Amino acid sequence: MAGSVTNEIRAEPNLTPLLDVVFQLITFFMLVFKISGADFDQRVRLPVAGSAMPVEGSVVDQDRLILNIDADGRLLWSGQVLDVESAIKKIRDQAELARLNLKVGGKELAAGDPLPTIIILRADRSVPFSQIYRYIQACQANGFTRFALKAMNAEG
Amino acid sequence: MRRSKQHEVEIQITPMLDMAFQLLTFFILTYQPAPVEGQFSMNLLPAAPAVSLDAEAPAADQSQPAELPAALRTLTTSIFAAPDGQIGHITVGENEYATLEQLKARLVEIVSDKTLPFDQAIIQADPRLSWDALMKVVDVFAGKDVNLTKLSFAPLESEPAL
Repeated sequence: MAGSVTNEIRAEPNLTPLLDVVFQLITFFMLVFKISGADFDQRVRLPVAGSAMPVEGSVVDQDRLILNIDADGRLLWSGQVLDVESAIKKIRDQAELARLNLKVGGKELAAGDPLPTIIILRADRSVPFSQIYRYIQACQANGFTRFALKAMNAEG
Repeated sequence: MRRSKQHEVEIQITPMLDMAFQLLTFFILTYQPAPVEGQFSMNLLPAAPAVSLDAEAPAADQSQPAELPAALRTLTTSIFAAPDGQIGHITVGENEYATLEQLKARLVEIVSDKTLPFDQAIIQADPRLSWDALMKVVDVFAGKDVNLTKLSFAPLESEPAL
């Protein structure tokens, strides 16, 4: 049995819901898209420690100095690799800068007073303790006493 | 005036959809979920026991005499490295332990014994010890079973007698 189609039927898919979903997905990925900052250098493979506490918002707001130490024990500063002498000088400069900022803000520290800046220590898991301890000592010698030792909660 | 013909204006959304899919593909391909980073917060004072940022004031602990010197309240733990930088053995006081599990069991005993005065610890680490191994020890101290968060570090000065 054959029939002739008298009226042409145009079947157009409604793309609007599809477009909505796609835009929502794009929005999601744009929001979670992490622009890799030099502060948290991805070359550093952090050690794994299950008890390491996630960073709280109040800690993020505080003044902090991030030290990334690579597998060779060198400091990574804004993407650049510094040798030990340059790194220690950089820590000293940062301490002077922190004191100057406090002085400008009307909170001048007495000699020997510890700085409120938190040292975020992100050291590679394979670095020997002796190499990291040099940086800890340099920080302590310049008035930094507050440390946050970074570790992964689980193997990533 | 009357309309002779009704014009239907169609918006071409196909190019927009193409572009949207390209953007979506880019974000999917470059998406890397950020690993969860944790941290141990502590005060590391030079040549003195450390005090945790989150710790209560020492005066709150009434079970210990207030005049007890800090040195007597400090548990000294030494970590000796194996040739590969991992943990060789651990000493707590005069007792020696080979594994972190043994260390943890001993620390749980110490902190559960209320007659012992220890409320802080110094970790003396072998200079060759890897940072990963040291953080595993810190993990034991800061874990919920031991919860000894007043820590400080010092380099181990002398090699163990062979």
